[in-house]
Amino acid sequence: MASLTHTASFLHSLAKRRSKGSGLWVTSREAFWIALEALRAHKLRSFLTLLGVVIATTTLIVVMSIINGMNLYIADHIANLGANVFIVDKYQWAQGYEAWLKARRRNKPIRVEEFDFLKENLAGYKNIGATTSMWSDENSARYQGHTLYNEEISGVTPTMIDIGVQKVESGRYITEFDYQHEAMVCFVGHDLVDEFFSSVEPLGKEILINGLPFRVVGVAEKIGSTFGQSEDNFVHLPLTTYRKFFAPRLSLQVNVQAWDGQQMLALEDEARALLRARRHTPYREDDTFGINASQTIMDLWNRIMGSIFAVTIGIVAVFMVVGGIVIMNIMLASVTERTHEIGIRKSLGARRRDILMQFVIESSVMACIGGGVGVLLALLISKVVDYFFTSTVPLSAVVVGLSLSAAVGLFFGIYPASRAAKLDPIEALRTEN
Amino acid sequence: MAIQTAASSIQETLMPPDGVVIKTENLWKTYDMGEAIQVHALSGVSFDIDRGEYVAIMGPSGSGKSTLMNLIGCLDTPTQGTYWLNGRLVSELSDDELAYIRNKEIGFVFQTFNLLSRASALHNVELPLIYSGMPAKDRLEKAQEALRKVDLGDRMHHKPNELSGGQRQRVAIARALVNNPSIILADEPTGNLDSATGEEIMGLFERLHLAGNTLLLVTHEHDIAAHAHRIIHVRDGRIERDERVE
Repeated sequence: MASLTHTASFLHSLAKRRSKGSGLWVTSREAFWIALEALRAHKLRSFLTLLGVVIATTTLIVVMSIINGMNLYIADHIANLGANVFIVDKYQWAQGYEAWLKARRRNKPIRVEEFDFLKENLAGYKNIGATTSMWSDENSARYQGHTLYNEEISGVTPTMIDIGVQKVESGRYITEFDYQHEAMVCFVGHDLVDEFFSSVEPLGKEILINGLPFRVVGVAEKIGSTFGQSEDNFVHLPLTTYRKFFAPRLSLQVNVQAWDGQQMLALEDEARALLRARRHTPYREDDTFGINASQTIMDLWNRIMGSIFAVTIGIVAVFMVVGGIVIMNIMLASVTERTHEIGIRKSLGARRRDILMQFVIESSVMACIGGGVGVLLALLISKVVDYFFTSTVPLSAVVVGLSLSAAVGLFFGIYPASRAAKLDPIEALRTEN
Repeated sequence: MAIQTAASSIQETLMPPDGVVIKTENLWKTYDMGEAIQVHALSGVSFDIDRGEYVAIMGPSGSGKSTLMNLIGCLDTPTQGTYWLNGRLVSELSDDELAYIRNKEIGFVFQTFNLLSRASALHNVELPLIYSGMPAKDRLEKAQEALRKVDLGDRMHHKPNELSGGQRQRVAIARALVNNPSIILADEPTGNLDSATGEEIMGLFERLHLAGNTLLLVTHEHDIAAHAHRIIHVRDGRIERDERVE
């Protein structure tokens, strides 16, 4: 009895001692140094082995960075209607071509009366305003022999300064008085100031817009450009004046600003109900107008980017698998090459787990270094891309890139490592290298 | 319970007394060559080795002495029979348990030295301690001490290819000593050395023996075996003769 319990307790203490954390830590550290040593000893081989992982990581991060950069850009420049603003327009934006063709037949322009109606009947909004604009090659602004073409000419209500993205740099915006009296005044973008009034005070000067004289009452802060298109080439006129001289029947865009995102959704529903009621739209039928928010644009954008991203994921996955197989192949060769060494280690008391660990750590360290090189390369490429276009490296991309490479190294390292671990010590010792 | 009691009583009767380091009982090693052809590398080997003994196992090639050494070194398990090492029944342990025994109880010295060529002498000696999970500081101390014991205190940071054959074998001996094993198992330790260096190594073994270590030498050379104090002659998988040399 005594000896059986002796043996049992010996085996028990054996299991306990060997599974202690410190021992595992010591052997993993040894494995880590072996891995670095092996990489150092075979620089060219390691580099070639890691090429797949490097390319995969770089591709992933660069694409994620460009998409991220463009997302920020779109959110900032294109989908920026102002905070908590939705726009009632003749059309729903960002719908398919078919839907647009159909809408073109049945949708009706938004009238001034409808704007007034919404202004009177919509409850609790922060601001409401209307704009209408045309963008034409023939639009012109002239001042003392200088001519600027192609600007966006808009008619606006005075409230638009609080709703839109423009801010007053000097002077004032269109006022209620201008609006009521169809005043011949204008609020101009920075491009016009740069062109006409580089050394002169612009306020109070008279410029010709499509041949009609308007007095400059205010200048907007510079906004910048989107995809090379200047955002500062605009003229705002009182909506009433605009309708009188340029386009009396052009559809309006009604801008409604809510106090917060929650209220915005409620207001959208209310505006829709009001307008349908006023237009006597039967309840089964679709709206004859569109309600648009920043989200509408972002949704479209995200749909496009989603498919680009899916393609990228596919390409990266292929690279990673190829990279992983190359790693596996090299690790198999490395196991064969080091069979004798494995035999020595086993004869000195290395368990299967120690050998397994050694090779898994080696392939993981290798893949991680590949991932790290990929990240550095991606940061570099991203910098260059940002110079010409737009690219912002998100931290998540770096984390995903590194952990993906580590996972690939781990996964494709397991098979060679388990082959090494299962080697018979006598056979392994007998193998000469 | 009854079966357990019976089993344990058998083990009790078989369990060797304290002074015995190795006790083998009717060891068999049989290889299946397919088609019902069996080769018996060992056919019923039994012997005891006491603590502090200096024993040589001698026999011509093919006699089964390598197989016997692999069994005693816990690199392999017998097909049949029992093997007690330092009071533990090791003939039926799993791979990882055997690895543990090799780490704690056995110090190997091989004919071809079997050092890691990319590692320094010191790191080579540290290896068994790494696998027993010893922290780096204690490890360094013990490895340095072991190297000093074999007179290599000034060669610790040399790699094997910067050392002579005799020095390499002494590194291997330091590695075998470092974990304070129950037995040092030397397989043709002078086989790759010239006779002068061989004598030097045998002198070192004699010193280790006098210091109280248990040594088991496997060789086919008479004059090497003659250094031991007991010679077990093996032929055709059996013990032919077991003689004491004074």
